[in-house]
Amino acid sequence: MIESIGRNTIGLINGVGMFGRFSARTVATSCASLLQPKTYPLIWLQMYNIGVKSVGVVMVTGAFVGMILAIQGYDQLHSMGLEERMGLLINISVVKELGPVLVAVMLAGRVGGALTAELGTMNVTEQIAAVESMGTDPVKYLVAPRVIACLLLTPVLIVYADMLGILGGYFEGVIQHKINSAAYWNYSAHGVELWDIGVGLTKGFFFGAAIATIGCYKGFNCKEGAQGVGQACTEAFVASFIAILAINYTFVVVAKAIYDTFWIGESLL
Amino acid sequence: MESDNNIPVISVKELVKRFGSRLVLDGISIDIEKGKTTAIIGPSGCGKTVLMKHMIALERPTSGSVYFKDHRIDNLSQKQLAGIRANYGFLFQGGALFDSLTVFENIIFPIRQRRKIKNFKEIEELVKSKLALVGLDGFQTQYPANLSGGQKKRVALARAIALDPKVILYDEPTTGLDPLRSDIINELILKLQRELSVTSIVVTHDMNSAFKIADRILMLHEGKIIADGDADYIRSHPDSIVQQFIKGTVGEAELAALRQAGTRTRT
Repeated sequence: MIESIGRNTIGLINGVGMFGRFSARTVATSCASLLQPKTYPLIWLQMYNIGVKSVGVVMVTGAFVGMILAIQGYDQLHSMGLEERMGLLINISVVKELGPVLVAVMLAGRVGGALTAELGTMNVTEQIAAVESMGTDPVKYLVAPRVIACLLLTPVLIVYADMLGILGGYFEGVIQHKINSAAYWNYSAHGVELWDIGVGLTKGFFFGAAIATIGCYKGFNCKEGAQGVGQACTEAFVASFIAILAINYTFVVVAKAIYDTFWIGESLL
Repeated sequence: MESDNNIPVISVKELVKRFGSRLVLDGISIDIEKGKTTAIIGPSGCGKTVLMKHMIALERPTSGSVYFKDHRIDNLSQKQLAGIRANYGFLFQGGALFDSLTVFENIIFPIRQRRKIKNFKEIEELVKSKLALVGLDGFQTQYPANLSGGQKKRVALARAIALDPKVILYDEPTTGLDPLRSDIINELILKLQRELSVTSIVVTHDMNSAFKIADRILMLHEGKIIADGDADYIRSHPDSIVQQFIKGTVGEAELAALRQAGTRTRT
């Protein structure tokens, strides 16, 4: 038993070390790629695959989150006569937390899974070795464009989700439950600050980078066979999901500390 | 030029490779001569491909060193290797064609990585000539998914020679092909050798192919080279392991094990 604990610990530390080295190489290569216009076509292509093709699903996610928050929140607030403040509740939840996190989870599944499967299959069929054998750094050719595209476009996708979330909340609150429209928007505008939106969008960069890096790493280190690729995809999704939660937690703590230092926190209601 | 001919193109010194606790290559030293075809034979899983991947630094040794001409390559970074690797063509076992790109795009991939393509007409001619060399001109717009196994290997070979390499590494070029297609590949290897005077290293367990194309045959067994010489030398090699392998006969010990094992597997 002790032997297996030891083996697992060594395996874990090895894995962390390998991922660290891979990430460091990815960061260095990505920065270099941004300065080389030659690599831009690769980035455009990935932006289309990762970003443009995700817009629909992200908008649907956002809209439903907004609507469901409104349905769930209305009765509680209505019983206290506070339903006009629902706009604030929904919009701040969507913009600060639910929009970014759900978009990230959506992308971890849609984009992270696809990246791992694609690169994993390329790895198993020696296509990655082929890239390398022809004198091209596979991290530069395959990983950097994907990470850059995902990093830059996740915040944009969050904007779409936020927008639809806000509209979804409006639809449920104002149109379905007949809340006074002017009051709904007034409270929202008063409570949701640029800071909140900024925090939500900034998270997106980190989520995007984490999803793409983990997806590519798992693909590059995928074991042989259909089972290997499948397992790599599962691991990539789980790891991305945990990373999203961990990044989010860290971000909330840090952002709150900064906010409290510079502004005096006031109660929302 | 005289001195350039004397130094081996690829030189492997005291190469040891471990994967975890498994010893795959155990102190291998070889020099590959210029312009010759060297075949590395041995049973599946004996580390032939691993040895060949060390020669282009796709694998890094646990200890020992690898030289291309006079340059040590096993300790170079990706960036430093990029220039050296332009001297190589590598034919992967399954072809390793990029399946999101057409045959044409696959073949210009190595060219595109090295320089900016200005004259498209010239590149088209180049691709045409490389494909003609492997007998597949006209397949430019096909995707790899539409090609048969043999065609994939031939396209991969056209891609491997796109930059006119000095060294071509073949990883099991005839495996999985019918005898006729295998022979087409053998003839292609000989043709490239004659026309481009390249140095070739072929990893194979197809003895017909090895005897036909190789100037020198190395046999790898349990991480060591147990035989090294030309086709006649290997044919008359006294070692029973070598004889069993080249004749494809199973040894007494394995036969006994087979007889003892039941024909039905327990479920």
